[in-house]
Amino acid sequence: MAEPGRYLYAIARGLDAAAVEGVPGLDGAPVETVEHRGLTALVSTVDLAEYGEEGLRRNLEDLAWLEKVARGHDTVIHAVAGAAATAPLRLATICLDDDGVRARLDEWHDALETALDRVQGRAEWAVKAYARAGSADQPPAEAADDQDTSGKGAGLAYLQRKKSQAHQQVQSQERALEVAERVHDSLAARCVASRRLAPQDPRLTGHEGVMTLNGAYLVEDAEGDVFAAAVQELAEAYPDAHLTVAGPWPPYSFATLDPS
Amino acid sequence: MSIDAVERVSWDVEGSGPQIALVDLLDRLLGSGVVLAGDVVISLAGVDLVQVKLHALITSVRAEMATEGRVL
Repeated sequence: MAEPGRYLYAIARGLDAAAVEGVPGLDGAPVETVEHRGLTALVSTVDLAEYGEEGLRRNLEDLAWLEKVARGHDTVIHAVAGAAATAPLRLATICLDDDGVRARLDEWHDALETALDRVQGRAEWAVKAYARAGSADQPPAEAADDQDTSGKGAGLAYLQRKKSQAHQQVQSQERALEVAERVHDSLAARCVASRRLAPQDPRLTGHEGVMTLNGAYLVEDAEGDVFAAAVQELAEAYPDAHLTVAGPWPPYSFATLDPS
Repeated sequence: MSIDAVERVSWDVEGSGPQIALVDLLDRLLGSGVVLAGDVVISLAGVDLVQVKLHALITSVRAEMATEGRVL
């Protein structure tokens, strides 16, 4: 390897290093630990030709590469988060050597302790709401389309119908957003912390309906089933929204360090 | 697992195993989220488009390296 660097996956507290033995790091490198001031950094060696600034600039535009790294990152995070309180790092956080890793642990120490306190014994759940496809743009008046197509009333009727359709569409969208607010508020009240991420584009989700909620919820490990049941209750209460729930996940949305 | 709670309600548990959808993973791992107002266009599955704010990511990576006191 021409120029090795250290890729940081996560910082953990109270981790038994045996928990990551045999866990594959990126590009097959073994996952190692760097201990400092009561915290454990999970690292592996990468080639800076691929993960350095120039390499990242090129590779991050390659979705296959991005997926490889994201999946590899997630594999390590999952192994660690199952064994100890874990603060996942963002994708592609790289230091030149272990001294650099320890310097980061020094620099972030207090923020890390806070983040680890927040996520210890808790997991992330993702809940999404979609407006049901068709409810927003297919008003029931459609069947009347072919009526009254002769005579001078036809043009006016057409305009009125169009206006009515537009009005219904706006109302339907407002209703969908209102339902998303209520679902989020209800779930936020039942968990430790919550965040709303930007709704995802329909081209990415594979759902026909527009995503109105992309929520992340930090839930006590023991209360995952209760939380999932709460989502089901909301799905019953709001049949015009399509809800999905996924979890438990590592607490990505609640511990990822943001240096900025 | 998919549960029909009541008629017209479908309620899915997705990704209950270790596999998280790539878009959800990138949403979280890139910090800024996967958005459609970014700087770079990435082709996903040859059809869909993801635009991620890579400049923000690269800037944060650069900041990490700069604090090492060396320039790559």
